[in-house]
Order: sequence, then C-alpha cells, then structure tokens
Amino acid sequence: MPLGKTDAIEFIGVSKEFESSTAVENLDLAIPDGLITVFVGPSGCGKTTSLRMINRMVEPTRGRILIQGEDNKDTPAHELRRSMGYVMQESGLMPHRTVADNIATVPRLNGVSKRDGRSRALELMDTVGLDRGLAKRYPAQLSGGQAQRVGVARALAADSPVLLMDEPFSAVDPVVRADLQRELIRLHETLERTIVFVTHDIDEAVTLGQRVAVFAEGGRVAQFGSPEEILREPADDFVASFVGHDRGTRRLTFASAGEVPIRPLDAEDRPWGDWRLALDDAGRPAGWSIDDRTMVGGSLFPQGGSLRDALDSVLSSPSGWGVAVDDDGRALGLLSSDDVMDAAARERKSRYGVGL
Amino acid sequence: MTWLFHNLSYVGELTWLHLLQSVLPVIIGTVVSIPVARFAAVRRSRGAEGAGGASRARAGKARRGTVVNAAALLYTIPSLALFVLLPLVLGTAITSLTNVIIALSLYVIAMMVRSCVDAFESVDAAVLDAATAVGYRPARRFWAVELPLSVPVMAAGLRVALVSNISMVSVGAVIGIQSLGTLFTDGLRRDFTTEIIVGIVLIALIAVVLDRLVALAAAVATRWQVRS
Repeated sequence: MPLGKTDAIEFIGVSKEFESSTAVENLDLAIPDGLITVFVGPSGCGKTTSLRMINRMVEPTRGRILIQGEDNKDTPAHELRRSMGYVMQESGLMPHRTVADNIATVPRLNGVSKRDGRSRALELMDTVGLDRGLAKRYPAQLSGGQAQRVGVARALAADSPVLLMDEPFSAVDPVVRADLQRELIRLHETLERTIVFVTHDIDEAVTLGQRVAVFAEGGRVAQFGSPEEILREPADDFVASFVGHDRGTRRLTFASAGEVPIRPLDAEDRPWGDWRLALDDAGRPAGWSIDDRTMVGGSLFPQGGSLRDALDSVLSSPSGWGVAVDDDGRALGLLSSDDVMDAAARERKSRYGVGL
Repeated sequence: MTWLFHNLSYVGELTWLHLLQSVLPVIIGTVVSIPVARFAAVRRSRGAEGAGGASRARAGKARRGTVVNAAALLYTIPSLALFVLLPLVLGTAITSLTNVIIALSLYVIAMMVRSCVDAFESVDAAVLDAATAVGYRPARRFWAVELPLSVPVMAAGLRVALVSNISMVSVGAVIGIQSLGTLFTDGLRRDFTTEIIVGIVLIALIAVVLDRLVALAAAVATRWQVRS
C-alpha cells in the first residue's frame, strides 16, 4: 500500500474535559499511514493530551479514536500500549535497569526470554547509533542525547507500526537535538513507521513533519497540512503569528539552492575584493581574513542544501560571501548574496505563479 | 574476661535470643509498613488527569496525614507499658517471645510507615508514567519498578529502625524476657560491672554488624544510583 494513502490513526469527534478546563475540543484528525505527523502549538493547547489519548494514557470524555480502523477501546490498555512505541521527554527510562534491559522492556513484558530480549536490544542499539559498549550502563551514566537514543530504541523494540513521541528532544542541547532530528528522519526512511511527534518548536515541526497539525488554545486544530502549506498559507492569524516572523526564511527550507551559481575560489575577477578565504590542509574553510585581520567564518552551505542554508551562509559570513562545501567539508566555492536573493525571488514567483 | 569464658554458652544463648528479637520485628514491621505506606503515599500525578483530579488529591492528602500521624502516635506509647499491656489484648503470657516480638514490630511500624511513605513519594512520577505508557500493568509495575526505586529511601529508614530496635530489645529484660538485656538486670542486681559491659559491647557489636549488612544489601540493590 502506498505510504500516506490510508489513515493509521483517526480522531473522530474527540473531546477531553478536565475538572476546570477543556483540553481538547471536538477533534477530527486523520493521521496518514507511514508518515511523520507533528502536533505543534503553544503549551496548554492539548497536543500532548491528544497524543496520550492514542495509547489511552488519557481517556477521552467523548469521541472515538481508531487505530488502523479499530477502536482503541477494543484492546486492553496495556496491550494497546505495548503495541505502540512511546518516547517521552527526559527519556522516561527505568533508572534501575541497564540500557539493554531498558530497550528490551516491551519484548520482556510480552514474554520474550531474557537472552532473546538482550540480543534484540543489541541490534536496536546499532539501529539508533549507540555503541554496544553502553549496554551494561545505567541511565544515570548516559548523556542526554544517549538517553534519548535509548528511549527511541526502546520504542522501536515494540516492533509496532506506530511510534508516539512526546517532546522527545526538547531537553537536549541544540547541537545534539539537530543530530537526533537527522537520525529520526533517517530511521523513518528505513523503517517506514507512522510517527506522531509532539513539539512546541515550529522549527522542529517543519524539519521533521511531513504533515503538521497546528494546535490552538482550547484544543482546536487551527490548521493541518504539509509544512510548506502552513508556512506559505497560514489558515488564520493564530497560525500566522505562531509560525512567526521568520516564516519567510523558514519557507526557504523547502526550496532547493540548485540554481544558485557557486563561484570558483580562483575566479580571475575576484568579486570579493580583498577578502581572503583561509583553508586548512584538507581544504576545509578556516575563516576569513582582510587587512591582516582574521575572522571566524560563517555557517557553511552544504552542496545540495536548501535556499535557507544558502541564505544563512551568506548572511553569517564576515565577507558577505557564503562558502559552499562538499560532503567532506572541503570548500567548493563561494555564493554571492545577490545570486541567493535572485533565487529566492524566482522561487517566490514560481510558488505563487505570478510575475514570471 | 574470665566470667565471659565461664559463661560462654549462657551469653551465646542470650545473644541468639537478642538477635531473634532484633531481626524478626524489623522484618514483620517492614512487611506490614510497605502496603500501608503504599496506600497512604500521595502520588504527584502528571497534570490534573481524569475527572475529579483535585478532589482526589485532597482526599489523598487527608489519608496520608491520618496514616503517618497514627504511626507516629504509636511511637509515643512507652515500651514498658506496651510490654505489660499487650498480653491483656493478645492473651499471651507476659514473658512470651510472641508478646515482645509483636510489641517491637509495632515500634518498627511506627518508624517504617513514615520512611516507606517518603520512599514511595521519592519515586519520580515521570518514571512510573513511562512504565505505564510502555505497557506495565499495575501489579507488575509495583514489583518491578516502584518498589526497587524506593529502596534507597526505604533502606535509610530501615537502618534507623533496625538499630533502634536492637537497643530497645533490652528493655524486655526488665519484665523477664531473656535477651542480652538480661545481663544488665542481672549485673545490676549482683552489682557486677563485667556482666553489664559484656552486654553493652555485644549489643553494640550486633548493631554495627547488622547495620553494615543492611547497608551492603542496599548498596547492591541500588547499583544504578550515581555515586560521587
């Protein structure tokens, strides 16, 4: 069956009321099969509650939730939960269990032998990029990033078609978070699971999501669509303000910078004037210099990157020239800000189909 | 010293009785305290989940207060009075071992209920939530997650209860229940200091050895904790 054509999870008129407030109001949402769907919104808008209703950690006040067409109330709660991977903030690992035992939790609950559980755990450590040497460590001995990888491995061990992720990367530092996000996209490409991912970070939503549901106050879905659609045509003022003033730049994430010419470093006319790009022995950029002053370089434009990468490389560079690099980090050439802006303008025109 | 060598078997028997009265009440008291404390402990659950979250929380606080205070109240009953009164309730002979073991168990309960409540409340609610979310059922979650994670705080309370119980055992000697305390009453009656000193040294020894054993067992059970 082609991915995204059928619904893995369907909310039908789901409401959740707490004593003094309504967390989710009459939610109708069809989460496509095999894609990453992100619930994004400010805190207190019911996105986590909605996620937790899928595996019945929260029971809805009204409405039904179908998993692959079956009402999730037809399965006993503990079996339903074992049939879906769940990754949470701060990893939620059992502090008294080793890494391997944590990963093997669900197989063990389902009666798999200790030995088989362990070998499965070791395989999954490879899958999520954890050194097998960490198998006997306890969670307290791991870094934040490692702990989250263990959390993901534990969720994968359920061998379920559905993964629920509740702000899994919000407690790790930005560098590790970017790493984990890339890793998740890679895992999703190889494993083809349906992933429901909750975050309050619109950048994360746009990076990971193939479908994004923007939640508004009172548990209403203000917009549901592809990240591009949401950035290009916010459904209302709430969505427009939530996606923020940066949405122009963010949208460039979806545009290729393939048309932006890369000027060779040894160009005769030296359009960058007296600026000189320093290279290390391996040919990687090592900062800019001018008039005997040396400055740290800006962000690098990876070959084949997006227009957003290209724009940032230009804006962050002391010389105003972005540095394009190949997969090994070696400098390929330079990008001019005019070329990048021209490409952005062409992209805008073709997107809206005007002024061509 | 000569006195000790001549009375080795007598002192040995008293040591054995003292050990029995030290250890059994601690085991009984702890086994009783754990379910009582689990019932009383207030779970700081994630958010205001489910209808009636706030009123449930209030009821939980009231229950916790009642149980913890009742346990504390138990501790205010003078030990000698309890030794004398219990037989009237239980119908046992005043000098029977059952009598003294039950009385001492009550004191252990008085101390351990509080420690166990603290222990259960020390367990991170997020971890319990995670356990449920990955598919633990309540009973298994208790044995496999909640209880092991409450060991660090529980063990600290257990060591205090154990050591204070070891010293309290000797009070029974006043009403004629045999233990190392008998060496005090006997030594006092005969104005024989050696006997008293032997009693003190042996009781201290028992306390140190048993305390180290519990500490060691707790360390093994909590290897997962980060130690500096």
